[in-house]
Amino acid sequence: MVNLEDLKKEAKRILEEGKIKYIIGYERSPNGMMSMPAFIKNPEDAERLTWDPSCVYNLTRFLVDEKRRKAKEKKPDTRPVAIVVKGCDSRAVVVLLQEKFINREDVYILGVSCEGAGVVDEKKLTEKLKGKKADKIEFSEKDHFLITSDGEKIKIPAQEILAERCLECRANFPVIYDEVLGEKVERRPEDPFKSIERIESLSKEERWAFWKEQLDKCIRCYACRSVCPMCYCDECVVDTISFAVAADTTAEEKAQKIKWIERSPDSSENFVYHLVRAIHLAGRCIDCGECERACPLDIPVRLLNKKLEKEAKELFDYEVGFDPEKPSLASSFKDDDPEDFIR
Amino acid sequence: MADEFEPKIVAFLCKWCSSAGSDLAGVSRMQYPPNVIPITVMCSGSMSPLYILSAFKKGADGVLVSGCHPGDCHYIKGNFYARRRIALVKKLLEFIGLEPQRFQMSWVSAAEGTKYTQIIKDFVEELKPIGPQTKLRRSS
Amino acid sequence: MQKILRKKSFPQWVKKLESYKIYAPAKNGDVWNYEAVNHSEDIDLDYLNSVLSPKKIIFPQREIFLEFSTSNDGNPEINEVLPEENPSVIFGVRPCDAKALTLTDSVFGGDFDDLYYWRRRDQAILVGLACHNPPSPNCFCLSVNGSPHSKEGLDILMTDLGDRYYVESLTEKGNKLLNLGNKFFEEPKAKDKKDLEKINLASEKKIKRRIKEIKKIPPQLKEMFDSPFWDEEAMSCIRCGICTYLCPTCHCFDISDEVLSSSPIEGKRVRTWDTCQFPDFTMHSSGHNPRPDKASRLRQRILHKFQYFVERYKNYQCTGCGRCISKCPVGIDIIEVLDKVRDYGT
Repeated sequence: MVNLEDLKKEAKRILEEGKIKYIIGYERSPNGMMSMPAFIKNPEDAERLTWDPSCVYNLTRFLVDEKRRKAKEKKPDTRPVAIVVKGCDSRAVVVLLQEKFINREDVYILGVSCEGAGVVDEKKLTEKLKGKKADKIEFSEKDHFLITSDGEKIKIPAQEILAERCLECRANFPVIYDEVLGEKVERRPEDPFKSIERIESLSKEERWAFWKEQLDKCIRCYACRSVCPMCYCDECVVDTISFAVAADTTAEEKAQKIKWIERSPDSSENFVYHLVRAIHLAGRCIDCGECERACPLDIPVRLLNKKLEKEAKELFDYEVGFDPEKPSLASSFKDDDPEDFIR
Repeated sequence: MADEFEPKIVAFLCKWCSSAGSDLAGVSRMQYPPNVIPITVMCSGSMSPLYILSAFKKGADGVLVSGCHPGDCHYIKGNFYARRRIALVKKLLEFIGLEPQRFQMSWVSAAEGTKYTQIIKDFVEELKPIGPQTKLRRSS
Repeated sequence: MQKILRKKSFPQWVKKLESYKIYAPAKNGDVWNYEAVNHSEDIDLDYLNSVLSPKKIIFPQREIFLEFSTSNDGNPEINEVLPEENPSVIFGVRPCDAKALTLTDSVFGGDFDDLYYWRRRDQAILVGLACHNPPSPNCFCLSVNGSPHSKEGLDILMTDLGDRYYVESLTEKGNKLLNLGNKFFEEPKAKDKKDLEKINLASEKKIKRRIKEIKKIPPQLKEMFDSPFWDEEAMSCIRCGICTYLCPTCHCFDISDEVLSSSPIEGKRVRTWDTCQFPDFTMHSSGHNPRPDKASRLRQRILHKFQYFVERYKNYQCTGCGRCISKCPVGIDIIEVLDKVRDYGT
């Protein structure tokens, strides 16, 4: 099991050595059970770090911010940043490395084991506790979470309150790291694409009705895009003036820019947005599930990504985020890629 | 007969093969349904999924992407990339419940005017029974 | 006008209101939202806080201003589109959301009345429901001049007394609604009033979260515009639009032309929600962006709510509904931020 004191000690050590700019990790929120992202600069603040099943966030999102910030600085601090990653998050680091968005020497990876379990689904837990408020959640012996609620300790089988994506996870241990805490616990999901198969088994019109109902709810807050570590484009097609407008861009040039997607949250626009998002993440999404967790309206956007993950596996035998040296899905091909659909 | 549904097809044709193939069909006076709106792109590999989705959004009943045969790409391997990408787009569109017939891909060389007309004829015949595409069309 | 309504009579009263379009909280999956209802029996007033406030009915995310096209003779044709005449009743409005509408009123009113906003606003009758239990663990209405049984902005306030509702009409519009169901209402007795007081007192106590010494915050913010504080606070912000889109008081919008066809020209001019959290919100056509990073955008959100709005309208642009706290994907908590602001530099 990950010893939290070891994590703090290691964090303190690397900060004291001065080779690390800061640590991106998790800390307890002063309010409620959930943790939140923490940015630790001083060795004495390493005490704040935590690791428990409420650490749902994929912190690699903040490596994108770090790169942006660094690009703007006149005299950037070139020391690496340290980042705490779970198994899934480590695959996100692999993809960022694979795409050469970040360099290996820019990041110091502190891996943590998910202990054969994973992270909690807040909604499932709330339902399970029937109105009681959880104050704390911890990993307990194998496959259980220990919840503290009003001073009372409750043990719940992890399987019952795990996030959906953790139930389908194929990497519950970091695949890349400089330092790793906790042991590798083998846990293979029975069926990594269970959630997809449910939808696939529906008829065409049922599938359409399902997605229409879901995507019509979208208010286009773009949380699913913003929370995603892979959505690092400087300009996104959905932003109304996301064009390369520079000081010397003429009015004519601006007028000629194509607006691919209108701002209105209409059915057609929502569909185009979500489909483009999914396609853009094909062969890049590592299924951290953050898009779905962030959605305020509970749209199961993760399923679109998951579908493409499945197709990439079945059609091209491609698995995302295990080997930073491998060419990415969209920038490679095989001579014998399937083409039975082509006339 | 006047009221029969005439599907509108947007065909993205690569400049070097498929577009030349459609030209050949034209200059050879081959007859084929006038339901196609051809758009020339530099390479099938340059097709952004946004082009496809935009065509559907603006009311296309069917979309065709056509490129050179594997090995014949003017840019050596553009069509190999397209093959992968289009396969994924096709799977995704089917997943959300769009009729699979509506989105097609083909290889048409500059010499294959006949093949091009046949593809369009078949495409139109397949689209007629399923009627207009309303799912992704912008309505208001 | 104060009345008592038996719970079993509630659907019958609603049935009498058939000339109105009825909105009420409806559940979709785990998510509550205000939706149009067709059957009075479908209204469930035992609901948690909706994700979007009733703001979305009065100030919809998309509002068509006008339609344009080329007419047969080749001349441009422009038609104004106004919200339809459709009197509506919104049931189950939380006091914080009703108060929020009084704040957007001052923005869309004042020197210039926003025709589209007011057309919808004037047609809507707000029937509130006092919060027995805080509908969200992050409710903090008491800190921002509100309360779980506040009447501000409402036409009718209903309070759940167990087997009956205590119904208080606060405006002419409200009276009219009560009169339509006259026979279902009873006169309140002394016990009802006592129960009401007890419940109101208890519900206030159940609200746990507070912004302490809020009065100190606006002057403090004024000093903090250039503070590095915002860089620190915004580190975890992911620049999505949840906090502002879900906020019942946020009202920023964008106007754009949506062209359906370019030949012949056909399209609409529409107003859609916009948010200060998006990078293009302040983007100039020159390419310069005065709020280039997320720190300046987070600052804008806080300053607008707790400094600029206070200076201009003498009120906080926040009603303590807690939505931005509950739904923030990275746990940014406006109460925590304001607590830090208050104590900053001391």
